[in-house]
Amino acid sequence: MSNNHSHTQGEYIPETYIPHAESHGTKSLWRTFWILLLITVVDFIIYFAADASLFRNIVFVAFGIVKAVLIVGIFMHLNYEAKFLRYMIVLPAIIFLSYLVWLLLLEGNYVSISKYF
Amino acid sequence: MALFGNCLDFLDFIPLFRKVKSNIDSSIKMSNSTTVSSSSIWTGGRSPFNVSYGKLMMWIFLLSDAFTFSSLLVGYGAIRFSYEGSSTPWPDPAAVFNHFPFMHGMHLPLLFVSLMTFILIFSSVTMVLAVEAGHRNSKSEVSKYMILTIIGGAAFLGCQAWEWTQFIGEGGRLDSNMFGFTAEAAAKAKNLGFGDHVHWEAADRIPGPVPFASLFFIVTGFHGFHVLSGVVINIIIWLNVIAGTYEKRGHYEMVEKVGLYWHFVDLVWVFVFTFYYLI
Repeated sequence: MSNNHSHTQGEYIPETYIPHAESHGTKSLWRTFWILLLITVVDFIIYFAADASLFRNIVFVAFGIVKAVLIVGIFMHLNYEAKFLRYMIVLPAIIFLSYLVWLLLLEGNYVSISKYF
Repeated sequence: MALFGNCLDFLDFIPLFRKVKSNIDSSIKMSNSTTVSSSSIWTGGRSPFNVSYGKLMMWIFLLSDAFTFSSLLVGYGAIRFSYEGSSTPWPDPAAVFNHFPFMHGMHLPLLFVSLMTFILIFSSVTMVLAVEAGHRNSKSEVSKYMILTIIGGAAFLGCQAWEWTQFIGEGGRLDSNMFGFTAEAAAKAKNLGFGDHVHWEAADRIPGPVPFASLFFIVTGFHGFHVLSGVVINIIIWLNVIAGTYEKRGHYEMVEKVGLYWHFVDLVWVFVFTFYYLI
């Protein structure tokens, strides 16, 4: 039984809680910063190198999602949190947002068609 | 379960009821003892999320805040889509947000917001360095990085104030928008190169879609208000750091919680930047 509990250091039990504070070093943090900066610079270059098009917009949104994953995963430390916490935060966001985007952009498109075409 | 069990004691003559009751009682006894917690993560006694109460609530708050911001941004998308084919088309962001301080009259789209993005990303990395220093219980380093974060946030707010001043000065209002361009002016705007001299006459401008301006104020204003409250909370936590509150407490988890909020502000800006300025 004690073997089963060897990994539970820092486990959250309200009465006895002391945060699991262990530094992982700053290397991965700086690397994330440089990647975020690089993506922003590439955004800037693409903006002037390519004319506005659906494909360019998809690239911008994809870069935005990559940046979001880096910020939430590394900076906000969600990658290293417990499995159920990760699911609780990420799943509602993905399910709700994809539904909302799909529904409202379709609706906006329909308004435009019924008004102007 | 004792109350429930006592109320229903008169049902003890039913064998099935007796069996269910004794099962429930024994499972309660087990979850109260320390030996059972390894059977399932959901049997109680420890948190399945394995974070403190405060951090868990911060995450749930940020999730709800993410829904608020996405509603605003998706609403922006829906309204923008609904102007497709209109006689007052959606303004090209490059023709509107093309200013840079001390570069008056030059066509420099995207440069200033890229600078703002850089400032916010940099303040995000100093925040996460403060959290990392907190894990090592290094009070002086936490304090140093929190000061840098506060300066970054204040710089971002200054940039946003300047941006709003330009926008209002050129005729952006909550209820009206002078960023519609006549056909000739729109053609001229399209051919402008990076750094070209640009000057619009009043005759070039016609009223454009009102939601373009009102949503600009609402979305960037709501984000800016988050940055402002983030800076205020950061200052409060920094004062606690230098007062030694967290050193006495033995851990710097409060810095982590305010850090979560600060990174979220950065996260929202990524999408405001994408949908307002890039697309």
